[in-house]
Amino acid sequence: MTHDLLFQAEIKDSVRQAYAEVSSGGGERLARRLYSEHELAEVPDGAVRWALGVGDPVRYAFLRPGETVLDVGSGGGIDTILAARRVGAEGRAIGLDITEAMCERGRRHAADSGVDAWTEFLLGEMEDIPLPDAAMDVVVSNGVLNLSARKSRALAEIHRTLRPGGRISLADLTVENDLPPEVANDESAWAG
Amino acid sequence: MAERVFAGKLERAGFSEIWIGGHRPFGIDEAALYPLFTPGVIEVMRRTIPPAHHDHVATGVIVKASKPS
Repeated sequence: MTHDLLFQAEIKDSVRQAYAEVSSGGGERLARRLYSEHELAEVPDGAVRWALGVGDPVRYAFLRPGETVLDVGSGGGIDTILAARRVGAEGRAIGLDITEAMCERGRRHAADSGVDAWTEFLLGEMEDIPLPDAAMDVVVSNGVLNLSARKSRALAEIHRTLRPGGRISLADLTVENDLPPEVANDESAWAG
Repeated sequence: MAERVFAGKLERAGFSEIWIGGHRPFGIDEAALYPLFTPGVIEVMRRTIPPAHHDHVATGVIVKASKPS
C-alpha cells in the first residue's frame, strides 16, 4: 500500500511538473483535428494554440443556456470557453486545473473571448475538486482522466459535484492492448 | 485504461446511462503533436510498437453518462 501511494504521488508530481513546464499547446494542427471550423472561430487564437485535448467533449455535452458546467483539467481554456458560449451569461462555466499558469492562461483567453463575466478558473485537483456537492449540471473533460493515478477517486469526485440528473461528457484515450513496458513506464507517456 | 474498465469504474462511481462512442484511432504521429510527449518517448514508441499498429496505439473516445435523479 505504501508503495502504491508513493507511486500515485510520483505520477501526480510528474504530471504537474510536465504541465507546469510545457511551453506550448498542441497548436492549430492538433486543434483542427479535434474541433470544427465553427468551434475554432468561437475561441481566441491563444486558446486554439494551447489545445491539448484528445476530442471534443463539449460538442457531445449538448449544453443548454443557463446550465452550470465544470471543465476538469481546463488547460488553456478552449473547452471551458466553448462551454461558456453554450450556457451563456445566465449560466456558469468553471475550469479546474492543477497549475496556476494554466488557470491564468484560461482567464486570459476567456477575457479575450468576452465570456469572462460568467467563467472562472479554479486551481485544484480532479481527485479533490474544490466545489460543493451537487453544484454542477454538467461536467466535461478532455484527455485528463487518463492522467490520474486515482481514476476511481476522480470519477467519485465528479459524481459528487454533479446534481442528481446531471451528466458528464468526457473525451479520453482507451488502450485495449498493453503498451510496451518502455512506453508504459515512461514519465512523459503518463503526462502525455 | 481499457474501455470496459472505464465503463466499470463509471458504474462503481454511481453513474448510469453510460455510453461510449465517437471512436477514432490515435496513432504515434498524432501523439507527436503533443508537447507533453517527449521526442524520446515518441522514438521509443516507434521502436517498440509493431509498425502495423503505429496508426492506432490508442483509441480516442467520448464517454457520456448521467447521475441518477
